[in-house]
Amino acid sequence: MNAVWYYFERDFIKWTRWKVNIFAALVTPAAWLIFVGLTLPVTFTDNYLEYLTPGIMVMSVLFASFQSGNLVIFDKVLGFLNKFFAMPPQRESYLLGKILFISFRGLMQASVIFCVAVLFGITVYSLSSILLTFFILFIFGALFASIATTIALAVDDHDGYAAINAMITMPLFFASSALMPYEDMPQWLRTIASINPVSLAIDNARMLLGGGEPFVGQIIMLTAAAVIVLVICIHVFRSATL
Amino acid sequence: MSKYFDSLCAVDALDLHVDNEIFGLLGPNGAGKTTIVRILVTLLRPTKGTASICGFDIANEPKKVRNVISYVPQEMALDIRLTGKENVLLYAKLYGIHDRINKVNEVLELMDLTDRCDDLVKTYSGGMRRRLELAQALVHEPKVLFLDEPTLGLDVSARRRIWNHILSLRKHDITIFMTTHYMEEADEYCDRVAIIDKGRITALGTPQELKSSLEISNPTLNDVFMDKITTREDECAFDGYKFRTMLRRRS
Repeated sequence: MNAVWYYFERDFIKWTRWKVNIFAALVTPAAWLIFVGLTLPVTFTDNYLEYLTPGIMVMSVLFASFQSGNLVIFDKVLGFLNKFFAMPPQRESYLLGKILFISFRGLMQASVIFCVAVLFGITVYSLSSILLTFFILFIFGALFASIATTIALAVDDHDGYAAINAMITMPLFFASSALMPYEDMPQWLRTIASINPVSLAIDNARMLLGGGEPFVGQIIMLTAAAVIVLVICIHVFRSATL
Repeated sequence: MSKYFDSLCAVDALDLHVDNEIFGLLGPNGAGKTTIVRILVTLLRPTKGTASICGFDIANEPKKVRNVISYVPQEMALDIRLTGKENVLLYAKLYGIHDRINKVNEVLELMDLTDRCDDLVKTYSGGMRRRLELAQALVHEPKVLFLDEPTLGLDVSARRRIWNHILSLRKHDITIFMTTHYMEEADEYCDRVAIIDKGRITALGTPQELKSSLEISNPTLNDVFMDKITTREDECAFDGYKFRTMLRRRS
């Protein structure tokens, strides 16, 4: 199990050593908050920023998870996987290390967005609700990081992966409750949005950060989905031919 | 041992015994050299047959095999944003070495990298990078070292230096199993070589034996190679992947 941590450490040092990386990862979500959250003329709420913040937090975790599939493609194309998989640690330690790092990086982005939003004056309720929100974000991040790393293992060019990435993440994001409440959606979108796992994370985060109670059943469902997907991904990694 | 990729036969009933020696696997592009190595280092499973390394079966005991071998693929996979020492340290950790720091310093010293070990790998030359990979590979004191084209794309002095290091490893009783395209190097440094073509061994023996089997004056291993290989160069698949790796090294 130590190997999981060592793989995480490797990615973490590499990430922090290039400062531009960190800066770039934090600017995009902040731009969403400022240029969309503070400006969009919406009528269903008088504090759109407060409404939008949980959606943007989930969005950045989603995008960060999917984008990080590139890490796996690099490791594969440059020959790292050949070396790692010929070493004693189980293949899944590599996978788990990656998922841990990717989710961690997503959470870092989400925390920055949250801090920026607090600076702009959204209401903060309790610490426990914030912690639970981050727990949900972690499960959500791990779910999509598993999917992303496994897709990346099968794809070996960055261009192709970027296309797949955009194809999956953009519709998932727009067909969710990130930007508007269900009541304001057209009927067909409402149906799609209500079964979208992205909405599930957003609704819970919004509830919690707004001082309400989470939907426990949904959190259990999300966790179960993450576990099932992870098991499938471990299986794929074990049997994959590079 | 055989390996098929769908109907393509990459390794055809290979039967080979390697002792404690420097063994060179020669053959044209696409002959199956890398596939053989990847099977032996447990990255691929053979379709038929098996092999054992230090008494451990590659298919049934892959973890035990991985503990006694090291694999240095041709790509030169190093984290350029980590220092040389950090690169080796990662391997020491993954192999679960107890006395990590000392061991890492020891292998860096062995590969003459101590002076530069705290610099980012980004600043290393091609030869230094290859030596750093050897340092990584030696950190758990393997019994067998698999090298896939260890000197590809390096200049003469860097190549000679790598070879001197490889020769010095023989004093530590490490078996070296390597592939190469440089016949002169195989001739000079390998104890025994095998020439393979289309997944089959077409010649096996010491470089001296193979050369004396030809009935020409002053034969070289290149002549043996040309004699034993029936695949014409233009039949070989172009390995763009390998070519890119070489070009990247130049930058």
